[in-house]
Amino acid sequence: VEDIAARIVEKALQLGCQDAVADLVHNRSYQIRFAQNEPVISNRWREETASVFLVFDKRVVATDIKDLSNTDMAVERLVKIAKSSQRNPDYAGIAHGPFKYARTRPDPRILALEDGHKFVEAAIHGALEMGARETAGSFWRYEDEHFLRTSNGVEARDHRASLYLSIRALTSLESSGHGIACATKLSQFDPEKAGRKAGRIATLAKDPKPGKAGRYTVVLDPLIFGSFTDNAVGRLSAYAVLAGLSPYGKKIGKRVASEVVTIADDGAGDSISRKRFDAEGMPTRRHVLIQKGILKTYLHNTSTARRFKTRTTGNAGLIAPEPHAVFVKPGNWTKDEIFSEVKDGLWLTNTWYTRYQSYVNGDLSTIPRDGILHIRKGEVVEAWKDVRLTDNLIRVMKNVVALSDKTEQMMWWGEVSIPNHVPYALIKDVGITRSAE
Amino acid sequence: MELEQDLVDFAVDYARRKGATYAEARFERQEQENFFLKNGVLDALYLGQDRGIGVKVLANGSLGFAATNTLTKPAVREIVDDSVRIAKGSRRKTPITFAQEESITANWSVPEEKKLADVPVEEKIQEIRELDKQLMALGFKIPARYFQLGDNRIVKYFGNSEGSRIHSYSPRLRIFYYLTVMQDGEAEQTHRNYGWSGGWEGVRAWDLTNRILEEAKSMDRSLREGKKSPEGKMDLVVGPQVSGIAAHESCGHPTEADRVLGREASQAGKSFISPDGLGMKIGSEHVNVCDDPTIEHAIAYYVTDDEGVRARRRYLYKEGRVNEFLQNRETASYFQTRSNGAARAVNYNVEAIVRMANTFVEPKDHSLEELLEGVRFGVYMKSFMEWNIDDKRYNAKYAGREAYFVENGVIKHPVRNTVIELTTPTFWSAVDAVGKDFEFEAGFCGKSDPGQALDASLGGPSMRLRNVYLR
Repeated sequence: VEDIAARIVEKALQLGCQDAVADLVHNRSYQIRFAQNEPVISNRWREETASVFLVFDKRVVATDIKDLSNTDMAVERLVKIAKSSQRNPDYAGIAHGPFKYARTRPDPRILALEDGHKFVEAAIHGALEMGARETAGSFWRYEDEHFLRTSNGVEARDHRASLYLSIRALTSLESSGHGIACATKLSQFDPEKAGRKAGRIATLAKDPKPGKAGRYTVVLDPLIFGSFTDNAVGRLSAYAVLAGLSPYGKKIGKRVASEVVTIADDGAGDSISRKRFDAEGMPTRRHVLIQKGILKTYLHNTSTARRFKTRTTGNAGLIAPEPHAVFVKPGNWTKDEIFSEVKDGLWLTNTWYTRYQSYVNGDLSTIPRDGILHIRKGEVVEAWKDVRLTDNLIRVMKNVVALSDKTEQMMWWGEVSIPNHVPYALIKDVGITRSAE
Repeated sequence: MELEQDLVDFAVDYARRKGATYAEARFERQEQENFFLKNGVLDALYLGQDRGIGVKVLANGSLGFAATNTLTKPAVREIVDDSVRIAKGSRRKTPITFAQEESITANWSVPEEKKLADVPVEEKIQEIRELDKQLMALGFKIPARYFQLGDNRIVKYFGNSEGSRIHSYSPRLRIFYYLTVMQDGEAEQTHRNYGWSGGWEGVRAWDLTNRILEEAKSMDRSLREGKKSPEGKMDLVVGPQVSGIAAHESCGHPTEADRVLGREASQAGKSFISPDGLGMKIGSEHVNVCDDPTIEHAIAYYVTDDEGVRARRRYLYKEGRVNEFLQNRETASYFQTRSNGAARAVNYNVEAIVRMANTFVEPKDHSLEELLEGVRFGVYMKSFMEWNIDDKRYNAKYAGREAYFVENGVIKHPVRNTVIELTTPTFWSAVDAVGKDFEFEAGFCGKSDPGQALDASLGGPSMRLRNVYLR
């Protein structure tokens, strides 16, 4: 397999390409989906893909080759098409290797895992024990192996494996909670805890009343705060900034969050998307993006870094820079202190469907789902339903008052697209709207 | 294709021999070209060369699915072994069954006047560069322009253990773009998405240049002349884009049978419509919402679905009442009915689940002028930017992109950021007249885990809503 990656790069150079990258990926993932408290389908993948990036005279082409039996022909086709394409004057090359990489290995117990039913059952049991009537979700055993070669001397390999479980628990259609379990070591995987959390929130969310519009102090659970940090970091890709799809344009060195907010991207940190290198072969490492509320850098590949007169942050994707994993620096409040600070506010536990009215100024709305809990004097007094968080990404981040002293790893179905290590957040003056009847 | 056909047939036979009570296999090849033009520069060209086989089996009352892109007999044998083993190993207690369907032998394809494969890369690039050039010639400040033009040629071969054997070919074309127009530090943004089943002739059918230039002009006008949108209860006329998104979000999704049954509860959510909700009143008698895969040139056109069931039009809401759920064979069995051909998968490596295709409000008889004539004080919302809806599909929001104040039937000045935030029954119950104009746009519809962002069309005519709260 390593030979295939080398052969693709060699062939591209023979055909006149200046830069070439080939990332051979073996996917051996396994999944169980469940609903109504029992499995609905089990899935298994055995796939080999070559993700290829070629540059011919500043003409950039990329592909994912699935037929590895004749990669020469695929590369020839790609180069032929590149010749018909147009120059990208902003293209500035790929990273120069070779590099040294961190020594990381997947947990052999995860690699040996053939059946995930006991994890699914533990999560369901946890939720039902806390009072839920219905559960649904997914268990994943992710496994992929990468063999990377580039025309700039990179030869790298990375075997990644992790466990993930997402569970939604319901006591009724309008009363639900969500829990997440992530681990890179089998011994740290705790799906029952995720189930218990989902079940507990679903129970707290019973008999919800229609919510009231207004501006509130809110506690964001890690799952929904993770959605905000995921949004923020996604919009920090230099590509998003250049495409007008980010509120962070021309804000380097400026305040974009409150002083308690420090956010880093770290592909090398322990997360379920830990990786040794980016798509150019640059070793991943920690980059502080927002430090004490001040924007320090965008996410870059070699080309966008040149455009912004800086260095790559090792965040190259096949075409555009992208985040690896988000780490929010924990605060110094306990979770209890955060809740007890709320005199009359809301505890939001999850959200979905975040959409922007304007990407360049960050006006957005998102729909809290699962428990929407009204808090008075630090205690849950009732559950709400049918409200929407309508505000602005930067304003919300500037209004963060405090963060809890522990973070949890969150990732969930689109809304938290990569692992985000996030604490509970106390945020003041958050806009809440609701539908008119 | 002979090799792939043999492998699919082998997978189905071998799965049955391994103890599957039902087996299906789907070979799929997708050849894509995607062009990314950002601020006048062609960033990159992405060529997809995707192909493989997915096998779904029912064994011991449980479902197993496995996929590979290695097209050899040993590799296919391995995924059949996988799928049967994981199905048999499932600890499910309630057996899954499939609704009975007739076996089909078919070979269908979407005609291309000008084959996508024959259009040179240079011509495709030139198409979006020309759009960008004409946009810049307007002389507005448009600091961010992002176009993505893509085509996809999808070849499938489907076989199941009941004897169905189906070949198909679907060429598809899509463009979407984001534009940012600025004036005095204020920004107006838009995104649009157009799709086509067929050949390169779709580009002309879209009439893109006019649409984009008109959109940019309306954005500039909004910035120059736009006023705060009025707040309170008033009449509202919505354009086809808004009708389309409402049809998709507030009708199509809540009538997906798998969502109604809770199979998507942890991801795309459930539905405010319960399993016994057929006949439930949702809107006024003027409201008919359909989903129809058989509309020629709509991007989600198909003849047979990914379970080998023949496609047909589905009336989801009829005269304001829930009329039919979207079904695949698994959900149809639960409801003791037949599949209506709504099973789709985004590629060979994922299971086919219940999906919308081309969803729209059925047009009626009013012209736009007639709809507006009846408005004494209100807003005409032609298009939207921000939108979302809760996971039970009950609380929706559509924030206006191009919108105008209307007084005594006359369109006055533009208004900015008009917000419709209504419950699904409130929205549909307020409809008192439906237009005869009609437009489709394309969308990516998200569902399932792993996520399947699937081609969909959203459309309809203009509609008038009475006495709804806007802000």
